[in-house]
Amino acid sequence: MKERYEERHLNLSNRQDCSWNKGMRKIAIACLLVGPILSEEGPDFSTEILPILSNKCFACHGPDAKKDEVRLDSYEGATEDLGGYSAIDSEKPENGELLMRIHDEKDPMPPEDAEKQLTKAERALLSRWVKSGGKYAEHWAFVKPGIVEGGSIDRLVEAKLNGKGFAPEADRHTLARRVAMVLTGLPPEKGQLEAYVGSGDFEELVDQLLGSERFGEHQARYWLDAVRYGDTHGLHLDNKRGIYPYRDWVVKAFNENLPFDDFITWQLAGDLLENPTVAQRVATGYVRMNVSTAEGGAIPAEFQAKNSFDRTENFGTIFLGMTLNCARCHTHKYDPIVHEEYYQLMAFFNSTSESPMDGNKYEYKPVMKAPANAAAWKQWDAYVKKREALKARGEGDFAEVAKKLDEEKANLEKAFTTTLVAEELKKKRETKVLRRGEYNEPMGEPVSRGVFEVLNPFPKDAPKNRLGLAQWTTSRENPLVARVLVNRFWQSVFGAGLVRSPEDFGLQGRQPTHPKLLDWLAVDFQESGWDYKGLMKMMVMSKTFRQDSVRRADLQDLENLLLGRGPSYRLDAEVIRDLGLWAGGLLDPTMGGEGVKPFQPGGMWAALSHPGSNTKKYVADKDQRVFRRSLYVYWKRTSPHPMMTLFDAPSREVSCVRRTSGNTPLQSLALFNEPQRVAMAQGVASRLLSEKKNDAERVNQLFQWIACRDASEHERMVCLELLKQAKDAKHDEKSAWSQLAGTVLASDTTILLY
Amino acid sequence: MNEFGIFQENGLSQTRRQLFGRAALGLGTASLAQLMGPSLQAATTSEGMHHKATAKRVIYLFMSGGPSQHDMWDYKPKMQGMFGKDLPEYVRDGQRITGMTSRQKTLPVCPSKYKFTRQENNQDGVWVSELLPHTAKVVKDLCVVHTTFTEAINHDPAITYIQTGSQIPGRPSMGSWLSYGLGNVNENLPGYVVMHAKSSHAEQSLFGRLWGSGFMPSEYQGVLLRSQGDPVLYLGNPKGVSRSDRRNQLDALSALNYEQHQRLGDPEILSRIKQHEMAYRMQTSVPELMDLSSESDETFKLYGEEARQAGTFSACCLNARRLIERGVRNVQIFHRGWDAHGNLPREHESQCKDIDQACAALIIDLKRKGMLEDTLVVWGGEFGRTAYCQGGLKKENYGRDHHPRCFTTWMAGGGVKPGITYGRTDDFGYNIADADGNPLKPDKEKHTPGTMHIHDLNATILHLLGIDHKKLTYRYQGRDFRLTDIHGHVIKELLA
Repeated sequence: MKERYEERHLNLSNRQDCSWNKGMRKIAIACLLVGPILSEEGPDFSTEILPILSNKCFACHGPDAKKDEVRLDSYEGATEDLGGYSAIDSEKPENGELLMRIHDEKDPMPPEDAEKQLTKAERALLSRWVKSGGKYAEHWAFVKPGIVEGGSIDRLVEAKLNGKGFAPEADRHTLARRVAMVLTGLPPEKGQLEAYVGSGDFEELVDQLLGSERFGEHQARYWLDAVRYGDTHGLHLDNKRGIYPYRDWVVKAFNENLPFDDFITWQLAGDLLENPTVAQRVATGYVRMNVSTAEGGAIPAEFQAKNSFDRTENFGTIFLGMTLNCARCHTHKYDPIVHEEYYQLMAFFNSTSESPMDGNKYEYKPVMKAPANAAAWKQWDAYVKKREALKARGEGDFAEVAKKLDEEKANLEKAFTTTLVAEELKKKRETKVLRRGEYNEPMGEPVSRGVFEVLNPFPKDAPKNRLGLAQWTTSRENPLVARVLVNRFWQSVFGAGLVRSPEDFGLQGRQPTHPKLLDWLAVDFQESGWDYKGLMKMMVMSKTFRQDSVRRADLQDLENLLLGRGPSYRLDAEVIRDLGLWAGGLLDPTMGGEGVKPFQPGGMWAALSHPGSNTKKYVADKDQRVFRRSLYVYWKRTSPHPMMTLFDAPSREVSCVRRTSGNTPLQSLALFNEPQRVAMAQGVASRLLSEKKNDAERVNQLFQWIACRDASEHERMVCLELLKQAKDAKHDEKSAWSQLAGTVLASDTTILLY
Repeated sequence: MNEFGIFQENGLSQTRRQLFGRAALGLGTASLAQLMGPSLQAATTSEGMHHKATAKRVIYLFMSGGPSQHDMWDYKPKMQGMFGKDLPEYVRDGQRITGMTSRQKTLPVCPSKYKFTRQENNQDGVWVSELLPHTAKVVKDLCVVHTTFTEAINHDPAITYIQTGSQIPGRPSMGSWLSYGLGNVNENLPGYVVMHAKSSHAEQSLFGRLWGSGFMPSEYQGVLLRSQGDPVLYLGNPKGVSRSDRRNQLDALSALNYEQHQRLGDPEILSRIKQHEMAYRMQTSVPELMDLSSESDETFKLYGEEARQAGTFSACCLNARRLIERGVRNVQIFHRGWDAHGNLPREHESQCKDIDQACAALIIDLKRKGMLEDTLVVWGGEFGRTAYCQGGLKKENYGRDHHPRCFTTWMAGGGVKPGITYGRTDDFGYNIADADGNPLKPDKEKHTPGTMHIHDLNATILHLLGIDHKKLTYRYQGRDFRLTDIHGHVIKELLA
């Protein structure tokens, strides 16, 4: 088997398309393994030189270079004899073509008409590098993170603060709000706040928050953005899709602190585990999360390819932090990924059994039945536990109990609902390299499943299927996955990652601000048994997190790259809404189930939906459901709820691992005028009027809810003045207070984390 | 001085995100323009971002579903003699066919039932069908392109392709690219406005992604101007809240936010205060915009009486003119219902009735107001329709499937050559052809003169607006993305 593989591999290597690249790259990788060799005066290759080469030169002289083009993506390439000269002359560095051409005014490189030109500083850096020997080292992210002795968040952050030290710790009120918002997406409950402010026992507060079910709901949101979770198919008719048990499972997994390697494995390949549990199969909904269509004229082969592209690229983004899209059409311009390798990875996802077209069906097969909300999951888990306990005691004597359990099972299953899952075809579907990524232009023989050569090898004993891919992904040898994940977790806590481009750890991505910290966190996460809650706890317990978030005059650091102050950022759409519902006493804590439909202006779906679509008419829910957490708001991918999109939530048609943060007048209109916001303001007003006796106390209470502290003197004055103006304008007590509450709910004291 | 004091000193409400987000992305003029505020921006943009702009603004009339070039613009008299005969194989030449007609036994040639007349333009004239009597009268201002082409053959991929540069969702829309490049010179209205016109055959889907900002921040996304409820989402105050109440609320809000700013020093807070103020201004500027009472009877005669009904295509066109008069530079109208697989005559007659007079009116109106010369108007859909019939063929009734190989778009004003046609198709309106009528096989990889790939169309639109489509980039996932991906050529022959 292996021989045949290698033979075919050889055949492929002889193909004109790939041979040079592939051969060259092997040398490159071999040479890169030598590791960072830097003469003393030379700049750091990986952080200073490679980004320049990648951004300014690789488009023509990189992994996808034309056949006879100079290659600058490896030492071997750069020093190759090109007929009496080479790009870098290892003997006489000052003679090399690279050095000459970047300074050549008559025949410069990059050429005069190139879109990207070198800056003066970049020229100087390149010159210094060439003169110091022009040695290469591997891109940092492709090298397994090293062990950092004696690491800790604070030690590694403090080391970079240039002796200026941490900012003082934020006051307890601010800190309680901050940590609760970060962990649960809601402010702390009154009792928690008072207890912590009194005792100063931060760890106790953190443990309570980690133990709250609100934790899983809030954390799941980031994951659902990444995997592009939506309640509809996403293309053309954009009909309803049965998938929300997957969403509920994600919440549950975070709340139960399912080890993250299992979390990954179940999603990639739960169906391939031995005797998979209901949860393990539900998790494979991940594989089915691509947008799909059943448009009249669509060609099945085209969408088979597109669906598989989508899965492959999502896998690349969320686990590898790599943009694979480029390699769909050609060898990657920047990162060492060959065209063929893209299809080898895609082959893992190309043999699932569903039809390439969704038939516009809710039950887009294969599907299974699963618990329909969080309560049902709990009952199901309790049943499974009982069943297992019974099994452990040995069967036979407990026929009566077993019978009862069967009945219980049947009853539970009656309430189960549909969810899309992955299943493997009995016979593998062939995957071929597609020229320019065109489904109807396959090239050569089918490729075998495989992973990128530049990364860790596929585990020897692992099956060549999604389960093996999961093993490769969660392997301790994988240089990317743990880093990419902890970086995103860091981002969810601190507002920005240690790598500020969480979607790209490739050559074009940003350098980590704290490389050692990133490595230490990644290794620690793996060694902890992929303990998510443990990692979150460590982050929020750190001094780094607990600093005051006020800008510092002694650190010129607008972007907080040094982490010399606490986090501060605008809250996400969902959090802004949940916070308002919570303050207004409206929030319905019911967990899970079908997406809920709060008020939405009329005609928004109808204005863009096909008449044949079953999501053309938005019918708002009428009961308490409209006040459920935003996580549960129905997600139509071609037209998500406007209160989500206005505040930068993604459409979930494609992966989003970093939301943008826009700032628009439409947000202002929405904050003040949207009916749900009005209901929140009225809710706050009613509570204040019934719970507190005088206006000063009410203002304080309002700030207690949204800021976990009393109002300042100035704030109280501003609020009372607005109240007076409203009353002067003949508004009654309730509406005057509603106007005030609406204003404070719209303020940056409410909608920011600080 | 503290780290943000510098901005306060310069009186700029520059934000951390704007400064670092964009500057770090290596964006040149665009970010600078955004950074320095409207005054400098206006100065920059009259010159254009990368070169002198001939169009200061654009109105894009998008016909969703694929209008039939055969029945409107691409006159093919020789097809009349071929009625019902199978389309010759050499004409189809391997073109892939959608799942809807691929099982059809024959592909019968389907000549248009409509009469075409030759209209004088500034060249050799242009043939226009009787479905477009009003548009026929303004052809001296139009540049009619018969050879627009695409690769996509189904709606969702095709419309996503022409509007975002990729068949697969996820990229910013063309409108967002323009917002990003042009900025907003208007202090009372959003910079990019989208309208959905009513149609009696709205049998097509639109998607938020067509005006969405993809991976760019939400401020670049299109703002929907709606004909139902609030014209802009959540524009109106809740019941019982007056304008002076809101003024008081905003004053209190500013005071609270200033205090928060003093506490945190986050410049973004100052920027948000400005957005709240703009929202307040929009609460009067949008109703003023939507109030057509100041428009003369003559105007309604020009656009048609249906312009008085909110949401009609005519009303949308009139609104478009009013928007650009008020400084909005980027307006897009989506009109659905052009997907005539069957009963094409009945559907297209009503579709054309929806748009014909208003299209002509818009051109005439802009011209008489002296705005056509620096306003680009674009008309077109995501693909064309087949020369052969889908379903049963009768002289008077037929249907046509999707056709990507050639379709007609037109442009006017804004530095486009007026009164010309560009490109030609073969005798079946099936393939783009050379001067002798022999099929050309254009490819997006390499520009063939006389053809216009959808990337070329977008490159040309950007060019007219002073933007080099190769230079307007946005870094995401380590790649400098462009609207035109790695393709696109400015069609120089169309430039005045």
